[in-house]
Amino acid sequence: MRTIAMIAVLLGTSPLAAQDFSEGSEARSWNLYAEQPARFEARVVDMLCAVTGDCPEDCGGGQRQIGLLRSVDDVLVYPNKNAQPVFSGAAVDLLPFCGADVEVDGLMLDDPDIGARNIYLVQRIRRLDGDEWINAQSWTENWAAQNPDASGEGPWFRRDPRVAAEIEAHGYLGLGLDVDAAFIADWF
Amino acid sequence: MHLKRMGAGAVLAAAVCAPLSAQVAGERIQITGEIIDTWCYFSGVMGGPEAVVGSAHHTCALWCSAGGIPVGLLGDDGEVYMVLKLGDDDASAGGDTQLRLASHQITADGMLYQRDGLNYLVVSEVVADDGIVNLSHDDFGVTPGFAIPEPKE
Repeated sequence: MRTIAMIAVLLGTSPLAAQDFSEGSEARSWNLYAEQPARFEARVVDMLCAVTGDCPEDCGGGQRQIGLLRSVDDVLVYPNKNAQPVFSGAAVDLLPFCGADVEVDGLMLDDPDIGARNIYLVQRIRRLDGDEWINAQSWTENWAAQNPDASGEGPWFRRDPRVAAEIEAHGYLGLGLDVDAAFIADWF
Repeated sequence: MHLKRMGAGAVLAAAVCAPLSAQVAGERIQITGEIIDTWCYFSGVMGGPEAVVGSAHHTCALWCSAGGIPVGLLGDDGEVYMVLKLGDDDASAGGDTQLRLASHQITADGMLYQRDGLNYLVVSEVVADDGIVNLSHDDFGVTPGFAIPEPKE
């Protein structure tokens, strides 16, 4: 049995898939249905590279999603979210660590009923060869630097030029401005 | 018993020697479904799965796509396919192509990869773009409720 279990672990089909990585985690709860605190060591990888072998040197230079290849079991964890509650992903925060071995802390989502396996919200990162934890909350600062003409009041998603262009062209519902107008008249 | 041990040992040796982080084999697939915001769908942060797709969630889907949250294709089979590339555009972290397709029903031709419980889709071609066909706002209004700013008097 022990041999079979070891093989299963090595093949990534084991109970490790549901392993508890909460030890030592200081992750803040988001009160999500399937969240579990998870702190683990991993290598930072380009997702497209890890899955298909299409591997530029710089993990895509900010264009691509970034993943975490967990050290203990070689499971590819997919960080969908950074620590900011503003509709922001995790790639910006992880890109500076491309190819590095790190430790991360955050929330793992495991809800197989809707297909969520190894989905991660990363809250902080540190290099294994360093002591300093870095909070995963650089997305808005990066957005502001890339959109200097979109400064002003309100959150980024109200000021983003690309989002604004889509809404201006197709409405908030995406069904055209006439449908929007009728809906808004009834909604408010 | 000896043979069983030998067999298990051979499998174990193969497992140890195999590059487990290596890429998995893909298979050609053509699938129809909606381009969704995976975080809201998986996390439930904005409500149940039916409330975070279609027209009700379109504005939030734009925010999340522009914000670099991965998009997926919610197939007609009910499975979520994490989209890593759309045609020539590999900008899966906030790119223009996926933003333009937010909430749209598309038919995608490409390669399917499966790893560690997730489906990954590398789209070679968007064969059909039907626009937004799920009129979920009829049932859910908009999610989140603040997606549409209140009109000024």
